[in-house]
Amino acid sequence: MEENKSYREKIAGAFHGMGNNVKDKFKEFNSLSRDDKRKKIVDTLLNNAMFIMIILAVIVIAIMKPRFLSTASVINIISLTAARLPIALGIAGAIVLTGTDISAGRAVGLTACITAAFLQSAGYSSKIFPGLDPLPIPVVILAVVLVGAAIGFVNGFFVAKFKLHPFIVTLSTQLIIYGLILLFLQIGSNGGQTLSGLDGKYLDFIAGPLFKVGGIAIPKYVLYSVILTAVMWVIWNKTTFGKNMFAVGSNEEAANVSGVNVFLTVIGVFVLAGIMYAITGFIEGARIGSAASYTGLNYESDAIAACVIGGVSFVGGTGKIGGIVIGVLLLQIIFVGLNFLSVDQNLLYIIKGLIILLACAIDMRKYLARK
Amino acid sequence: MKKIICLLLVIASLLFCLTSCGGKGEGEISVFYYTYSDTYISTVRSSIDKMLKTAGLDYNNYDANSNQTTQTEQIDTAIAKGSRLLIVNIVDTGSDDAAKTVIGKARAADIPVIFFNRSVSEEVVSSYDKCVFVGTDYEMAGHMQGELIGNYILKNYANYDLNGDGKISYVMFKGEQGNAEAEARTKFGALDANKILTDAGKAGLVFYDSKNTGKYLVDQGGNWSAQAANDYMKTILSAHSEKGGNMVELVIANNDEMALGAISALQEVGYNKSGGKTIPVFGIDATEGAVSKIKDGSMAGTIKQDALGMADVIVKVAQNMLSAKSHFDTIDKDNVVGNWRVNIPYAPYTQDAADNNEK
Repeated sequence: MEENKSYREKIAGAFHGMGNNVKDKFKEFNSLSRDDKRKKIVDTLLNNAMFIMIILAVIVIAIMKPRFLSTASVINIISLTAARLPIALGIAGAIVLTGTDISAGRAVGLTACITAAFLQSAGYSSKIFPGLDPLPIPVVILAVVLVGAAIGFVNGFFVAKFKLHPFIVTLSTQLIIYGLILLFLQIGSNGGQTLSGLDGKYLDFIAGPLFKVGGIAIPKYVLYSVILTAVMWVIWNKTTFGKNMFAVGSNEEAANVSGVNVFLTVIGVFVLAGIMYAITGFIEGARIGSAASYTGLNYESDAIAACVIGGVSFVGGTGKIGGIVIGVLLLQIIFVGLNFLSVDQNLLYIIKGLIILLACAIDMRKYLARK
Repeated sequence: MKKIICLLLVIASLLFCLTSCGGKGEGEISVFYYTYSDTYISTVRSSIDKMLKTAGLDYNNYDANSNQTTQTEQIDTAIAKGSRLLIVNIVDTGSDDAAKTVIGKARAADIPVIFFNRSVSEEVVSSYDKCVFVGTDYEMAGHMQGELIGNYILKNYANYDLNGDGKISYVMFKGEQGNAEAEARTKFGALDANKILTDAGKAGLVFYDSKNTGKYLVDQGGNWSAQAANDYMKTILSAHSEKGGNMVELVIANNDEMALGAISALQEVGYNKSGGKTIPVFGIDATEGAVSKIKDGSMAGTIKQDALGMADVIVKVAQNMLSAKSHFDTIDKDNVVGNWRVNIPYAPYTQDAADNNEK
């Protein structure tokens, strides 16, 4: 009886507390002077400006083009988001370290070409490895993951060891990887051509239907993207490595002093990013049905933009996996939406640029205000 | 308060832009271009735009920016949007798979497809009854260019043989690796010119760099760009000159853009200007820039790709497809090949042709 009572009290207290919390906030808000009140509202609006804009955009687009919210269109947006998510998840780590990675797109290209080369159907006429039957899928995944990790290691090593800015390191590796792609495509009877004639099993493994909604298939790579997101969430939030990454990102000196191995953390972040690019490349080959020298070109720019929109700041040390997912999704909603509205393609580039600029400016505003 | 006004203005302008740019949307004709930065394709694009507008058809253009992935995704979006006809200038001509994918998507949505300009094989086009290819006989431009060059040089051989060694040394600029059109132009541009020269008892053309066994310099970016040809030409001119007796005596380019790039490099060192010596430069496409260079004598000749003619055929076929007429209704029968493609004829274009046009 006693226990029961105390339990009830606790619950009541908790509810009371919750009510108080909202009330307190309201009271706090009311107690502010007129100017402060206005400032608070403006801040809240500005801090969520991207979301507000996107919600408005979706509403406007959906009113003008109801098909925008049809099953086919929504699945199209989800698939596009899923395809771009892994690379953004990888690049986000580099941004958390106040760096960047512009070799990401080419890394995707190289791994896509390698994947395609090992998984061309047996009888296809122009092949990198003539006479080679398609290898088992897990072997190919392992191979490209190793290649991706190697690229990441090189990036991370030069950043960590020589304190070079990641921009310049990855600019160099970007060129090197492109050269490797071109050389690779010349091997065998291929002669620089697009790699196609991919094995049916591989195509099905990536682009086959996961399940159908209203007769429209959701491709399997959406599931892989979800899994990768979950894995990255665990790494970022539940491991020492993840915590070290944020520590190094917000203050390298302090992290070093408090016993974090900065060298290994930086390399680890880039290796992890490389693995993500490799998986993107692995998915990319089958998603498009072929791989060529241009595959992956400029993928990093969309990924970086998505990260910034999702709140991964170039100031370093901040960012959430959920934010990245939202960033990628929002960017896709905008692009698909603009296509739905038949916006002139020339203007699309301008709008894209403005959105990124605006997002960055709003993001930096938070830090300027704090100082 | 200023900030919030600022933000509201941005939102408002964005929304205004969104709403003002939005056309009638439903059931648009979707036109996909491999890149907006190709001059010739831009000429076709502005003609198609005009014709579709005049015909009162709702359309939307997409720029793939030389990336098949982008284009494939744009096609997905257009179909999700409810497009009723796809007009596709495919990016990837290196294999059939990209075009097959497009046809697969169109078939699933039951809408017709017109491929144009960048070649798609008969096998792929014929696999879908609502599919047509509008292009040019991709080997013909190369053949015509070779013939034009051969006759041009032959008329005044001694004049062009700057070092008097009885041979014409040339450079060939290739637009893109693995593109069937670029391959054919590179091959026949030199081969056919050679044939005419050797038939007339002269020595054939000699590539300026004997170590280059491929006998061409290719735009590494695959963009058929003036910039790539200009870079190459500058490098060549830094090592080859009349003084050294190893000057390049002829420039052949896969398209006019590259020809113009080479001309500006030549002009920097004093060639191809009025009053000076002129190295004959040949292109293909007859773009505005090339035509004006041919008129002022700094370019020797080009092969006219009829942009207007191509746009006209595309729009006619599109209208036929939408009104369920036979695909090739009102199209010149001479240009129709089988029941799958229309060829837009080429024509050589030199100063003589320019003069005739003036008259």
